[in-house]
Amino acid sequence: MPNDALRDSLAEKRWLNALSKGDPSALGGLYEMYGERIFRYTFRMLGNRTDAEDATAETFLRVLRRSAELRADGAFRTWLFRIARNLCIDKMRQHKLMELPSDAHYSGSEERATLRVTVQQALADLPMEYREPLVLCDLEDMAAREAAEVLKISVPALKSRLYRGRRALRDKLGGTLERTS
Amino acid sequence: MNNELYQKLVDLYAGRELPAELEDQMELSAASNMELNHDMTTLRRIVDSLHDLGDVDFTEESYQRVLMKLYARGADVQLQAPASSHFQYNLPLQG
Repeated sequence: MPNDALRDSLAEKRWLNALSKGDPSALGGLYEMYGERIFRYTFRMLGNRTDAEDATAETFLRVLRRSAELRADGAFRTWLFRIARNLCIDKMRQHKLMELPSDAHYSGSEERATLRVTVQQALADLPMEYREPLVLCDLEDMAAREAAEVLKISVPALKSRLYRGRRALRDKLGGTLERTS
Repeated sequence: MNNELYQKLVDLYAGRELPAELEDQMELSAASNMELNHDMTTLRRIVDSLHDLGDVDFTEESYQRVLMKLYARGADVQLQAPASSHFQYNLPLQG
């Protein structure tokens, strides 16, 4: 295991043990470890900062409420993403939020920024079953096995959705990528 | 090549997950197969464009707003990192 991963794994274990003993610094430690990743994921799913902040806070509140169920066995991150995912699904059902994020700003050249907005819009328009694997695997760089666990599907099912999702995205983007490449 | 294997190889190529030797072999095959060439090129471009979406910026403001929401809901959150300047009194620059 690379040093960083080992260090993170040990820190995670320490925080989870502390949380189970009611140590108030534990939630802060876990937030410092995973807050950014969960925010990024919820932002990608929900498409705007305010809802992503709400979902991130709610994710960590649920960790606190369900701390008795926690086990420092390496599955915490998967469990955390599952909580975040469920919250995102609830929010999307409530608000049908998948328009272009109003506060999505992209830097770089104008052409590149336009392409990013186009890709983001096309991604947001994909059916959920395709969008989720793309967000987890291609944007969050999550391994297929872990992404499959978050989505509660098998690895072959995940790969199949990834395959179809990439093709669906390509179809949506049409000639956009050729024009800007 | 059966369809399932074709799909797997093209997807691995698109995600840059193939060993270099196999990748070269795929590119060689694609040189004489328009459909394969199109699939490989366009899907790799899709994956690259997704990577290129870049990180969502978890700004200091967002970080603090999430913390505020946690505090507001009664969570006792103690951080290891020093408190942000957002929580400190702003002193006038002069006087």
